[in-house]
Amino acid sequence: MSPSLTMPAPAPAAARKRRLLEILGAVAIAATYIYLVLNQPADITGGPGSASALIALSGFLAGAILLIVAVLPALPASSVVLIPVALVLNIVLGQFVGSTLVPFYLDAIGTVLIAVLAGPAAGAATGALSSIVWSFFNPTVLPFAAGAALIGCLAGLAARHGMFRRFYLAPVAGFVTGIIGGVVSAPVAAFVFGGTSGVATGAIVSAFRSMGDTLLAAITKQALISDPMDKAIVFTVVAVLAYALPRRARLQFPFVRRHRVLAGTTPGQDS
Amino acid sequence: MSAAPHSTESLPVLSAGIRSFTYHGDGLPVLEGIDLDLAPGTLTAVLGASGSGKSTLGRLLSGWLPPGTGGTLRGFLELAGTRLEFGAGGDPRINPAEWGRHVGFVPQDPAAVLSTVRATVAEELAFGLENAAVEPQAMKAAAEHTAALLGLTEFLERDPGSLSGGQMRRLAIGCAIIAGPRVLIMDEPFASLDTAGTAGLARLLQGLVRLGTAVVVLSQVVDAPLLAAGTWVVLENGSVTGSGTPAGLQAGSGLLPPGIRASGGAPAPAVDHAGAAHADRLLPRGGAGVPALELRGVCFGYGTRGNAANGRTTWRRIRGGSTAAHASAQVLQGISLRVRRGEIVAVTGPNGAGKSTLLRHVNGLLRPTAGRVLVNGRDIAGEPAGEAARSVGLLFQQPRDQLFERTALREVRFGLDRLFHPDEAAGRALEALSAVGLAGASDAHPAELPASGQRLLALATVLARKPAVLALDEPTVAMDGGGLALLDAAVRSAAGEGAAVVLVTHDLDYARAVAHRVVTLDGGRLDG
Amino acid sequence: MRLHPLTSLAAAGSTAVITTAAASLPLSLAVMGAAVALSARSGTARRLLPAAAAVLLPLGLSLLVMHGLFFPEGRTVLAQWGMARVTAEGLAFALERAAQLGAVVLALLVFSFSVSVPDLVAVLSSRGLHGRFAFVLASTLTLLPAITSRVERIRQAQESRGLVVRRGLLHRAAAFRLQAVPLVLSLIEDAGTRTAALEARGFSNPGPRTSYRAVPDPRGQRVLRAALLAAAAAAVAARLLLTQAGS
Ligand SMILES: Nc1ncnc2c1ncn2[C@@H]1O[C@H](COP(=O)(O)OP(=O)(O)O)[C@@H](O)[C@H]1O
Ligand SMILES: [Mg+2]
Repeated sequence: MSPSLTMPAPAPAAARKRRLLEILGAVAIAATYIYLVLNQPADITGGPGSASALIALSGFLAGAILLIVAVLPALPASSVVLIPVALVLNIVLGQFVGSTLVPFYLDAIGTVLIAVLAGPAAGAATGALSSIVWSFFNPTVLPFAAGAALIGCLAGLAARHGMFRRFYLAPVAGFVTGIIGGVVSAPVAAFVFGGTSGVATGAIVSAFRSMGDTLLAAITKQALISDPMDKAIVFTVVAVLAYALPRRARLQFPFVRRHRVLAGTTPGQDS
Repeated sequence: MSAAPHSTESLPVLSAGIRSFTYHGDGLPVLEGIDLDLAPGTLTAVLGASGSGKSTLGRLLSGWLPPGTGGTLRGFLELAGTRLEFGAGGDPRINPAEWGRHVGFVPQDPAAVLSTVRATVAEELAFGLENAAVEPQAMKAAAEHTAALLGLTEFLERDPGSLSGGQMRRLAIGCAIIAGPRVLIMDEPFASLDTAGTAGLARLLQGLVRLGTAVVVLSQVVDAPLLAAGTWVVLENGSVTGSGTPAGLQAGSGLLPPGIRASGGAPAPAVDHAGAAHADRLLPRGGAGVPALELRGVCFGYGTRGNAANGRTTWRRIRGGSTAAHASAQVLQGISLRVRRGEIVAVTGPNGAGKSTLLRHVNGLLRPTAGRVLVNGRDIAGEPAGEAARSVGLLFQQPRDQLFERTALREVRFGLDRLFHPDEAAGRALEALSAVGLAGASDAHPAELPASGQRLLALATVLARKPAVLALDEPTVAMDGGGLALLDAAVRSAAGEGAAVVLVTHDLDYARAVAHRVVTLDGGRLDG
Repeated sequence: MRLHPLTSLAAAGSTAVITTAAASLPLSLAVMGAAVALSARSGTARRLLPAAAAVLLPLGLSLLVMHGLFFPEGRTVLAQWGMARVTAEGLAFALERAAQLGAVVLALLVFSFSVSVPDLVAVLSSRGLHGRFAFVLASTLTLLPAITSRVERIRQAQESRGLVVRRGLLHRAAAFRLQAVPLVLSLIEDAGTRTAALEARGFSNPGPRTSYRAVPDPRGQRVLRAALLAAAAAAVAARLLLTQAGS
């Protein structure tokens, strides 16, 4: 028994199945979001809204897991090996910056870096896995898996479309990503946690509540204040890091070569 | 040496005909015109200076750098009778797992091969077998057999991350050979091993060759075990410039480029550096005045400093984890040492004796639990390490941690502006770069220099500050012949200008060649 | 008896789901108490409690401030300072939410602090997706302390070159760049080598795999797991039906 020394061609049926799972995941997340936004006023004050908490939790989590199931087996091993590195960078660099620039979380540096180097699929998987693995230490981040996957995916798309080729475009892309990510994550904060997990962000929510906003509206507005700035900083930090890498290290990534993600790297001769 | 009983007539198991290999994005090929045949039961040494393409060749042969994903290959690879042609369009894609069953590879940095997902050495060894669906009983037997071969039996239940450098290298070899590959390729396996470690590894290689494995060692140093190789292949700038028996290549002078050095420090073609005698002339006479560096009764132990209770114990040491043995042992027990201006002192000792720990006290990175460290007569106890760096230059074993700028020139200039006038800073930076032979590479990214060049660049950053004390950790490791000659010259001229030099090395011959005085660190004490 | 990792995961997960579905203060408090008692008995409380406190204290404080002081929907006003109104409904909401989250967090942390990670990885590593997920989990847990010590090594190397981190945002931002660049670069290089090493050892093999580490899975525990999952599903269904009926 001597299997071939060369790789077989990938089967198209498997690719189709994965595409289906990806779509299902995205639909689950979108449907949960729409359901929660439409139904929210009835529930929130009638005691701890456990039905909506369950729906938010299971809808977003199921969506994130479907995305992982679709993406993870298809990723090249080089991206899979980078994911744990990204998760640790999320934590280690996040702590470092977090201790200097107080009002932000900056917990997505690793995710965005992987998205820029390895593309949107790897970014999405990294985001979702980051939340799931980190919930090992802090279970409250588990429900944000879908939002984190979205951030990773958007960062990868921004990179593919050249937002990292000009230095000033990176924070802009981060700002927009932050708006979308914040709006999508707000229902989780509102329905699962009934608020936010930080004292500073809690104060902002309180301010909007004192003006009579519903909880979801207040948290969404708070997210629109913190998240875009946060992601703009994260994208800038990632741009600084990516450009500090030697050319050789950047060009080792097919995604960077193929889509000319970073300025000064000529498109590769391959495909 | 290739006279293995059953292999004299056998066909090569792995052959390569590399017309050229180019990394993605590079204009020029890294390898050109290399033809290689590896027969079972032979030991082949590929010798070349730093940056000559040894690692690239090794990774290409072992499937670690698959053509297409890693770069563009023109030529062919032939393994176990299957010939793969590249560069003619529609290139085949190598299946690394299948290739890996036939060809094992041990990279320069053995820690990087750990899967990071296995809790014990036994499981780490078995990782490849698990993926090939080998039965548990057979896996257990194979893991035990391999561990016995490598002298790792007592570590089978240890956390792989807690192994020392030498043990880690043996584990990496074990991971490569457990599936019984017919070819084993090792990249710089003898670097940073002490005499005992080198001898042990040499015995292991002989055993493998006798069993019919084709063993390839890539090296920039002619380590003693390589003298027994059947074939030497000399690589220069990516091309083979000579091959043949060791005797033949050594006899014909000029066949070995100066970049390849003989083990023991001196560059390979016996250029007489007149080591100690030469140094003696420079030794300033009259020990009057304060010594540039003085250690008085320095004691230190890692356990006592409460090495920040790390998460590792929490998550990984679940089973049979014997925690690091040095827990509270004293590494340094009353070390006293005086180094005068212009004096070169070498500290030697076996792996793990605490040489690097001693060196870290010189600029205050570690603080003694008892005793004092004086630089130019001043106690550095209260001074942060960043401040002490003005007068003490410390060169680490791993240069890449010390480099962080975009170009070599910026790297050397970093921080100079705070010490000197801008014009002077620029001058000093260029001067330091040319002192280490990197004047031509001032625009290169530090991380893209070959290992030897990174070492020298880190040295230049230190030299540019003209420190009173120069401390070097294992300067010979990862240095090729040319680099070592430059390092020697730079260190001697720094000492000639009055710097006190302390260097730490496991290589006794080298220590004797360069230093005025050799002291030995063993069991936490200095003697000599 | 040693619990199979999946059994303890199922127990923690279904406890979390059932408490969320029940949304009852006494149940939440009981679960919190049970979780703490369990971890005290297994000797993990010294590590678990600080981890739980780090998560729950800011969360609880934030909820208390947010809903205790501002709860526009509240009717029973207990005190009022300007804009801020302390209402009974607000306080009750904050308390119930905090207890419920506390129960969930503690239940899951009891699992993560008691489970044997190598066993969990061995169980998950059967094949395909599971194997890759287990890889990400285990590799992260291994790399975290290793990278923390690498950051320390880089800091030392740079201090030896005269880097002094001074106070102030700009200085620290600059120091961050200097330390992050070698860290990221070396991690990416190592990841490249690790990829090649893993690939050569069959990391991406499509076929079946075996496991060196044997994790016994008695029949009793398999039944228990099924029961726990059924209970969780029932709790969710009951809650959804009640909500339907109520509205
Ligand atoms: N990933 C890479 N991308 C581009 N060039 C590389 C890469 N790795 C090594 N090189 C270059 O290839 C040449 C040979 O390097 P290497 O094989 O590491 O040599 P050696 O092992 O003999 O020191 C060097 O010029 C080096 O700069
Ligand atoms: Mg090399």
